[in-house]
Amino acid sequence: MELQTQVRSPGTGGSRQSSLWKRFKKQKILHLFVGLGMIYLLIFAYTPMFGILMAFKDYSISGGIKGIFTSDWVGLRYFDEFVHDYQFGKLVRNTLVLSLLKVIFAFPAPILLAIMLNEVKHMAFKRLVQTISYLPHFISWVVVVGVSYAFLSADVGVVNKALMAMGFTDEPLAFLTSPNYFWGLAVGSAVWKEMGWWTIIFLAAISGISPSLYEAAEIDGAGRLARIRYITLPGMKGTIVVVLVLTIGSILGGGLVGSNFEQAYLLGNSINNPTSEIVQTYAFRVGLSDGRFSYAAAIDLIQSVISVALIFSSNYIAKRVSGSSLF
Amino acid sequence: MLKSQRQKDFVFDSVIYVVLFIIMLTMLYPFYYVLIASFNKGSDSLLGGVYLWPRNFTLENYRVFMDDPKWVKAFLVSVLRTVSGTLLGLLLTSIVAYGLSHRDLLFSKVYFTVIVFAMYFSGGLIPYYVVLRSLGLLNSFAVYIVPSMLSTFFLLIAISFFREIPAELKESAHIDGAGELTIFFRIILPVSTPVLATMALFMGVGQWNSWLDSAYFVQSEELRTLAFRMMEVINKSNSPMDSLAVANSVSAGVTSFSLQVTSMVVSIVPIICVYPFLQKYFVHGIMLGSVKG
Repeated sequence: MELQTQVRSPGTGGSRQSSLWKRFKKQKILHLFVGLGMIYLLIFAYTPMFGILMAFKDYSISGGIKGIFTSDWVGLRYFDEFVHDYQFGKLVRNTLVLSLLKVIFAFPAPILLAIMLNEVKHMAFKRLVQTISYLPHFISWVVVVGVSYAFLSADVGVVNKALMAMGFTDEPLAFLTSPNYFWGLAVGSAVWKEMGWWTIIFLAAISGISPSLYEAAEIDGAGRLARIRYITLPGMKGTIVVVLVLTIGSILGGGLVGSNFEQAYLLGNSINNPTSEIVQTYAFRVGLSDGRFSYAAAIDLIQSVISVALIFSSNYIAKRVSGSSLF
Repeated sequence: MLKSQRQKDFVFDSVIYVVLFIIMLTMLYPFYYVLIASFNKGSDSLLGGVYLWPRNFTLENYRVFMDDPKWVKAFLVSVLRTVSGTLLGLLLTSIVAYGLSHRDLLFSKVYFTVIVFAMYFSGGLIPYYVVLRSLGLLNSFAVYIVPSMLSTFFLLIAISFFREIPAELKESAHIDGAGELTIFFRIILPVSTPVLATMALFMGVGQWNSWLDSAYFVQSEELRTLAFRMMEVINKSNSPMDSLAVANSVSAGVTSFSLQVTSMVVSIVPIICVYPFLQKYFVHGIMLGSVKG
């Protein structure tokens, strides 16, 4: 028996190899299809990943892609430079404040809206509110900024005109051109734009709750609020945790509403700069406008590393605390 | 006891209806205001007090918009990039997804690892820019289309859809001697309209709304998109140094503000037109999106 297997095994190995080759040949068109995608990802996703090396090198744009590998190593020089940048404190504070404010306001908003919509008994009204509430999600940030301009600017803003007409203020308020208003403006417009969209996922979670739970609670004499507190909210728990993990993982980009860069870039100007300039817009300007590629790549890398660390740690904590997690 | 419960319910319902009504109004009114401002005489809008309907109705804003080659060209570039970007994106995404949807595909583990890794990690904007530059894509129309043709997210959606297609369909075609390309175009694509429509709508909206590429990857004025022109005019009027610019008459009664709201309407209308279709599909999309991360 032992002899048999010994004699046999090289034979089976050989035929397995040739059958693998046969299978591959049979699938060659499919591999060609997939290969297109792999080449594409290699160029547009993986080459930029190698490009991160430039953060540790003295890279100049004239070197092209090859320059990423051939330019001189400078170690952590650019990281050190960023930490000692006179704007460093401001950038870090603005990024953190904007991100945290968005978690505090933009995360609960769709949960509350979903709970309220769930209490509505007129289906037509419920659908109407929903349909309208996610319309802004599909509109570009440029238009949203244009809308805020039409409403809030000092010279044409309809809000300022109305406040002045009603005598609340003599001078127009500089909503768009004052550091005091930027955070409120950014968080408010982000909630406005994305609240309805994220409501979809929470409503889906609510629709998974068995109606018999509500009936039983009603028989036991639970009021509407008690039913929300003891049935709706616990029923949404899994979804809430998953969305929270996603939010914290992407917190530096703006969380759910993922728009820190676009808002800071489009709503920012020289006057509100003390609160509107964030790490991402700074890296962008330094890189693409000033042409300091290595420095900008280093700044970007710091933020990416923090983000990756955040997503893994929030996922771990969620798993420990509630049993639900993303991966 | 029963009565007080009913009273409480009434208060509860009223509060919810009122709050929802206010939310609805907050979502809708900005769009409405932009619309009426675009039909109001520009110089008149600057006086304020236009809230519910155009006070000084005019089509002049739209006339000036359509007579300006800068805006017309930007509109055409946006239409062209949206149509071609969506079609080519659909083609590449679905053909790659078709290959990957075969469960018996060799090395599929390797392929999927490559895709998922690319989904979670990116090199960031600066190295990406260097790659685009080295490929000679900067300052060309192709920079709008080529780099965004394949999204790993849509790839996974398409794969999961193709896997649901009954294998018998493909097998019978194989027996009839059809090649993979024939099967893909003649059998797979026609039965996949729901997923193709979903992807087309999201890709289309993304293309239509995108402004950063037109601002930084392109220098030629011929290649600017509608979203970029809009950003340009908004930035100009928003700039604190240039606050008089809004009042600048572009032509009789038309101000840069009235032109700005007009361009916003032009940019929003196509999205409102596809909105009913978007709605039909996007619930599916967001559910998958939430799993994706």
